Amino acid sequence: MTGRGRLALVVGGAVALVVGSVSPWATFAGFPGKMSLGGFPGGARLFALLLAAAAVLGLVDIAGRRRALLAAGLGAVAVIGVNGVALVDQGGGVGGVAWGAWLALAGAGLLVAAARALPAEPAAELRPRVPAVAEVAALCAGLLILLGTVVWALRINESSRFVSFLVFVATVAVVAHHLGLFAWLSELSDRHRRTVVLASAAVAVAFPFTQQGNAYWIRVFASIGVFAVAAIGLNVVVGLAGLLDLGYVAFFGVGAYVGALLANASLTTVHVHVPFVLVIFLGGGIAAAFGLVIGAPTLRLRGDYLAIVTLGFGEIFRITANNWDGLTRGPNGISGVPDLHAAGVNFGEAHTVLGVSLPGFANYYFLELVLLAAAILVFTRLNDSRIGRAWVAIREDELAAAASGVDTIRLKLLAFAIGAFLAGCAGTVNAHVTTQVSPDSYTFLESILLVAAVVLGGMGTVPGALLGSAALFVLPEKLRSFQDKRLLLFGAALILLMRFRPEGLVPSRRRQRELREEAPEGLPGLAGATGAPPGSPVG
Amino acid sequence: MRQFVQQLVNGTVLGATYGLIALGYTMVYGIIQLINFAHGEIFMVGAFGGLTVYRYWLPGSWAANAWVALPAVLIVAIAVAVAVALLMERLAYRPLRNAPRLAPLITAIGVSIFLQEAVRLFYPGGKRQQPFPQLISPGRFEVGGITVAWVSVFVVVVAVALMVGLQVFVKTTRTGKAMRATSQDPESARLMGIDIDRVIVVTFVIGAALAGVAGVMQGMRFAQIDFRIGFLAGLKAFTAAVLGGIGNIGGAVLGGFLLGIVEALATQYVPHGSSWKDVWAFVVLIVVLVLRPGGLLGEQVATRA
Repeated sequence: MTGRGRLALVVGGAVALVVGSVSPWATFAGFPGKMSLGGFPGGARLFALLLAAAAVLGLVDIAGRRRALLAAGLGAVAVIGVNGVALVDQGGGVGGVAWGAWLALAGAGLLVAAARALPAEPAAELRPRVPAVAEVAALCAGLLILLGTVVWALRINESSRFVSFLVFVATVAVVAHHLGLFAWLSELSDRHRRTVVLASAAVAVAFPFTQQGNAYWIRVFASIGVFAVAAIGLNVVVGLAGLLDLGYVAFFGVGAYVGALLANASLTTVHVHVPFVLVIFLGGGIAAAFGLVIGAPTLRLRGDYLAIVTLGFGEIFRITANNWDGLTRGPNGISGVPDLHAAGVNFGEAHTVLGVSLPGFANYYFLELVLLAAAILVFTRLNDSRIGRAWVAIREDELAAAASGVDTIRLKLLAFAIGAFLAGCAGTVNAHVTTQVSPDSYTFLESILLVAAVVLGGMGTVPGALLGSAALFVLPEKLRSFQDKRLLLFGAALILLMRFRPEGLVPSRRRQRELREEAPEGLPGLAGATGAPPGSPVG
Repeated sequence: MRQFVQQLVNGTVLGATYGLIALGYTMVYGIIQLINFAHGEIFMVGAFGGLTVYRYWLPGSWAANAWVALPAVLIVAIAVAVAVALLMERLAYRPLRNAPRLAPLITAIGVSIFLQEAVRLFYPGGKRQQPFPQLISPGRFEVGGITVAWVSVFVVVVAVALMVGLQVFVKTTRTGKAMRATSQDPESARLMGIDIDRVIVVTFVIGAALAGVAGVMQGMRFAQIDFRIGFLAGLKAFTAAVLGGIGNIGGAVLGGFLLGIVEALATQYVPHGSSWKDVWAFVVLIVVLVLRPGGLLGEQVATRA
């Protein structure tokens, strides 16, 4: 196709998409986001309008523009499609969709066509030469945008709009990926490691201050923190040492029972009150001891047998907790776990810091942050150490590792114990966050959720475990109307993920090479570009 | 003593179902070294297929006639189980044939959850227990003080017949020979002109058909089914397969009967046995894997990853 024809496609598509986005999408009032009105777009129409900006890619000559424009066009189609389906659903048929939506859809289609008309090209290599200060500023800006997006997204209440938002974010991520932005940012964060860590910590600490004293999301994020600590522990076992543990939640449960029993809960069966600073280590230690007891006889087995045996231990833990009335109070569990009192702070009380009132749950949130930081420290230090390399060697080829002098049994035991320790610590805190502990919180499904968090995020990486836990916790909270189909989608997601992106959303570089064995080696630029088809990284 | 024999009989009946499901695990494992975690769900889906034909498709007068209803239920249960297994193999497992081991196992877990939820959400009334028809006389008879239900006789007879049939099939037919060759060495088998993909499909089909029959048996014995029955039955059958020596057909049968008997005896003789009833399978599994990872009849394979 000639350059002029392509230009016509791009301009025509962009104009149609913009005009369609500021025109009514619904023929009836009452759909969230004022869809029946024209003018400045509300709700999901804003996302379509913003994606129209990608049409610029059709006019300038930069690397990666073909894939990026294609992704933007398909993303716009998806945003319009999601809302179209919702409109048809609520408006009683196709008549509920107004002309604006059709025009925008046509515009998005033209952009896709324009992208397909662009010549094929190599992957983008974004390497701007800017001073170090600008690089740091770019990283900090990226993190602030992240915080702002999260805070803003949590205020979206309607499911269709939230799904549109997810599609939009995924599209922007894919576009940025094809333009080489992520590769550049990850290179930058390697170079400015310290700054990134500090800035991330600052963003995490800032989060409760953005909630205007509302406890709901702080509470959810505190739970995510607990879950993330456990996920990082599991990541040591699964991601680093390559041992699939399907009963991991039992260690979490051991910690939770220890935490509840020793905290003078109103229904405790052990009337000893131990200070929390000790309890947290005790919980971790007892869980680690369980890990050793379970691991010692079973870690000689090959990988998939180990998975089933750990599953068996997980079930034995649950059934035991269910039946041992004298210690665990059986199916009723231990309830009435009091708020924490540690370091002179009553964790149940609200505080006012810098003029912003923080609800009681913010205390747990900050405690979780500290615990999470410790877990991340343990994980990264281990990963970079001789032990971490030995684990990877075991994961790759146990026989070869043993032949090279790696003490495989001891190292596998160590991975098991460390993973169990972290889960136990997280469990003790969780007993206070949920105020009760009962056997049905520690089912096989919970273990699978943890495994899924690790696999979804990316095995063997910290951001992966964090992203995976956040996605698995926030999405069900936000997509209430999908609540019932949650597990169905979850099963399908596991299958699709293994099929199309086995390395997860945030792959470890080592792991990515290993899972894509057919890809030619020595082409680091291509390894990233073979990644996600448009729209695939939806959590 | 009478009680002991009674529990032996109960355990044998229980074990017949475990053994039938275990065959599917053991054959798939023998050929592609995959723990097909979703196999228990194939069993469950088969039971629901059988229920569907009885409840919705058969005209009332036919449904009342066991000579018509029973074969119809069995055939549809087998057909549904086989169809689901074929889809599962084609869409989920085959693309991962050369992937690292962890990937297909996680896929299998995904398939398992997906199938459970699909039945729970989309089968009419799938969220609750569904009554399963008593296709043959609910009566029982007594021999020397031991009570045996007719259903139990049917279950054991059919299971043993199928197990013998499978053994004959694998030992004597060309396809059976191809299966044995593939499980010994897939690469050499391919070089000898064996169509590996076809062998794998046949393996899944046979396993699913046996699981479908087992699903109907389970429904008839307990008179009800729900979307959860596959999980525990699958785990116990897997245990049975490991107990007998995974990859070994005779071993799966032996393991199934042994596990059923162990469970029945433990429920009777261990204090509070019935509330711990689902633990014994896992205890047996762990003990076997620790003491004799190859199983009772399996060869001692090296513990290589």
